[in-house]
Amino acid sequence: MNGNKMRTFLEIIYNCPFILLVIFTSLVFVLFFDGAKEHKDEQEVAVLRLSDEGAEEENSEKGNDIAEESGQKKDDSIENDFENEAEKKADSAQNAGARKEKEDEMTINKDRKTDHTDPGNTGKAGRVEKHTTEFVEYAPIETNSRYYSDAGKIALTTVHDYVLENESYFNDAAFLGDSRTLGISDYAGLAGADFFCDNGMTIYKLLEDDGVTYQRTGEKVDLKEILQEKHYGKIYIMLGMNELGYGDTPMYLKQYLKVIRQIKEWQPGVIIYVMANLHVSREKNNMETEFNNININDKNVASARLANGRDVFYLDCNPLFTDEEGYLQAELTFDGVHLYAQHYDKWRDFLFEHGVEREEVLQTEADGQGKGFEKMGGSDGGSASQ
Amino acid sequence: MLFSSVGFLFRFLPVFMIIYLVFPKYRNIVLLIGSLIFYGVGEPYFVLLLLLSVAINYGFSWYMFWEPHSPQTNRKKKASRRRKRALVLAVAVDLGVLFVFKYWDFAAGSINAAAGKGFLPLLSLVLPLGISFYTFQMISYQIDCYRGTIAKRAGLLSFATYVCMFPQLIAGPIVRYGEVAERMASRRVRIRDLENGLKLFTLGLGLKVLLANQIGTLWNLIMTAGAGRLHPLVAWLGAFAYSFQIYFDFWGYSVMAMGLGKMLGFAIPRNFDHPYISRSLSEFWRRWHMTLGSWFKEYVYIPLGGSRKGTARTMCNLFVVWALTGLWHGAAWNFVLWGIVFFLLLSLEKRTFGKRLEQSLVLGHIYTVLLVPVTWVIFAITDMGQLAGYLGNLVGYHREDILVGVTQLVRYLKEYGVLLIACVIFATPLPAKLYWKWKDRWFVVLFLLGVFWWSVREIVLGSNNPFLYFRF
Repeated sequence: MNGNKMRTFLEIIYNCPFILLVIFTSLVFVLFFDGAKEHKDEQEVAVLRLSDEGAEEENSEKGNDIAEESGQKKDDSIENDFENEAEKKADSAQNAGARKEKEDEMTINKDRKTDHTDPGNTGKAGRVEKHTTEFVEYAPIETNSRYYSDAGKIALTTVHDYVLENESYFNDAAFLGDSRTLGISDYAGLAGADFFCDNGMTIYKLLEDDGVTYQRTGEKVDLKEILQEKHYGKIYIMLGMNELGYGDTPMYLKQYLKVIRQIKEWQPGVIIYVMANLHVSREKNNMETEFNNININDKNVASARLANGRDVFYLDCNPLFTDEEGYLQAELTFDGVHLYAQHYDKWRDFLFEHGVEREEVLQTEADGQGKGFEKMGGSDGGSASQ
Repeated sequence: MLFSSVGFLFRFLPVFMIIYLVFPKYRNIVLLIGSLIFYGVGEPYFVLLLLLSVAINYGFSWYMFWEPHSPQTNRKKKASRRRKRALVLAVAVDLGVLFVFKYWDFAAGSINAAAGKGFLPLLSLVLPLGISFYTFQMISYQIDCYRGTIAKRAGLLSFATYVCMFPQLIAGPIVRYGEVAERMASRRVRIRDLENGLKLFTLGLGLKVLLANQIGTLWNLIMTAGAGRLHPLVAWLGAFAYSFQIYFDFWGYSVMAMGLGKMLGFAIPRNFDHPYISRSLSEFWRRWHMTLGSWFKEYVYIPLGGSRKGTARTMCNLFVVWALTGLWHGAAWNFVLWGIVFFLLLSLEKRTFGKRLEQSLVLGHIYTVLLVPVTWVIFAITDMGQLAGYLGNLVGYHREDILVGVTQLVRYLKEYGVLLIACVIFATPLPAKLYWKWKDRWFVVLFLLGVFWWSVREIVLGSNNPFLYFRF
């Protein structure tokens, strides 16, 4: 009897090895995946901790407090807004990140102030607005997603006296981005610019070793090396689509901030353009997944907070391509996500229209004379004294 | 629910199979309820439409077989009239529902456009999942009942199970009742069936997830740039990419259905027989979506007289069949055009060079391999202006400067070269031949295990990151 049972058992195994293997591996994977998830959470916590420590290393606890205090004293709606938003949305680590940025700015401001004190310029501060990214508010809707929430506002292109440029402006420009930037690379005809982009690129992957393709050669390059070796006058960044379903918006913002700080460190005097992620079409907009314009807008509003109107500018190209409800116009796209090649002209013109002349400014600043210096000193002096 | 989803693979299927195997006496009811859950998860309201259609159709078939007590003399005549009435009503209701959901907006829109004003309202209904497939199955059941092919009326449970059975509910194959009637009454599921069924299912899953989905991104990439300003080679690359996508997508789904059918104790007919190795378009259609082809042949072409009533009539019949085939695939003019193109090419083949092509060694293959992608382009692009642009690009015509040129072509080939080679290999009968030869060998089992988990990986990544399919 027992022998018979054994035989049947063996026969079953002999007859269906595949099913048994699938079931067995499934069970193993269930255990493994749960483990992996915990591992991932741990990693995220580690990342947060790391940036905390980074903040603390540079500035003591006391310094933090002072920065916070002075931050509150500053009558600056956007930054307060930032603070509030960060408090609302994020954990303490996020706050530290926000504070950190402020400190960075403060340090820069102080440095400049001591380097070039110019008492006559404070009066001009009102003319050259510093934090000039405006937000239009609306009543947010309830979202139930771990990836995003409704920002309740739309970020507008940073207010600035932009200059109309031509193609030569882009000869010392770099574009960092995902497939939409790849589209600009392919179809906008900005031959002078360097494009570092890939399908599926994210703000997290951008600075990885050999993480991104240099479109001129078609080879994967290490952007860290390139940004340390070659000097760019302006860097355009547009990332956020592939982040819609990864992490959440505060995490995205934190990483974006990290990237921008890193770039500023490697590229002193660079102008950074934070470009809004283009919305998707009505057809593609899916409220049941994280793939919708509310989420995209959440990411855009977050990245717009990084703009300071001095060397970081937020450019919103959405009005060019979206309808009055904010959906990407159906006739401009095949997949509801990417523009047809022929419409990148409009985008290029938009970039032409939004040039910031910073190099002159820097040049004259270094010489310690001229109009540009006044302008610069004015804005910086203003921000420090307020 | 889709077969290629985590919910199906790791929740629905295991739970369902356990219940199905534990209660062998109640297999039909378990299968029916399981199928309704399967359908209802994605279509919570249309499941009611499905149930209503099943009930109405069952009512008509019941009426068809109804034999009231009446005088012997005109019993036969009355019965035949009743059967006809039931058939006409049933088919009218089925086609009516299909028309309203699938074709109303298209028809009304076209009429409005032709009239120059909007006197017919548009309904903007969502198309219920699988309605084209299950409607055709129910029509085939009614006609088979009428013809007497089905001698004995099916029980309500059997009929409902036949229509709703989840392996073929959403995307075919179009199974006829006769093909499953015997198994509907009683079926055994042996361990070997489970094993082989799951293997087939895994193969189909791999075709869908690892080939179709991946190569689909290339087509998407090219269409994203936009038809009209493509280098001819890019346009051809796109046409081939789409041809592979649609084939592996649909074939994969059909193979998954066959595998699931086997696991449930059914023999679901096969739908594809390596269509891309055909030597003519007529042969292509004998190998592509075979259950649909035979449906149109048996329920439309032959009843219209087939090819027995003279040349003119044959042409007319062919035209009707192909216009309908085109429309069945979608409610838009490009599908009509697609059907008509096939009508023209197939008639041409029938009357002139078809035989010679099929006997040729190489010419027939070249003919098919070049023409079929062009027909798929017509199938794929709904916008007529874009379609014209794309077809122009295929022959090197473009009104404005080329935007997508050799630079992009090189990049596409670099990125998709390996995948394209894999697609070519899987379009030949070689992999299938090897599979049937070695399917029980350990290395095939391990290979399939790899395919299974690799597919799952892609699916999971896709759900975490919904853009894998599109890849920004």
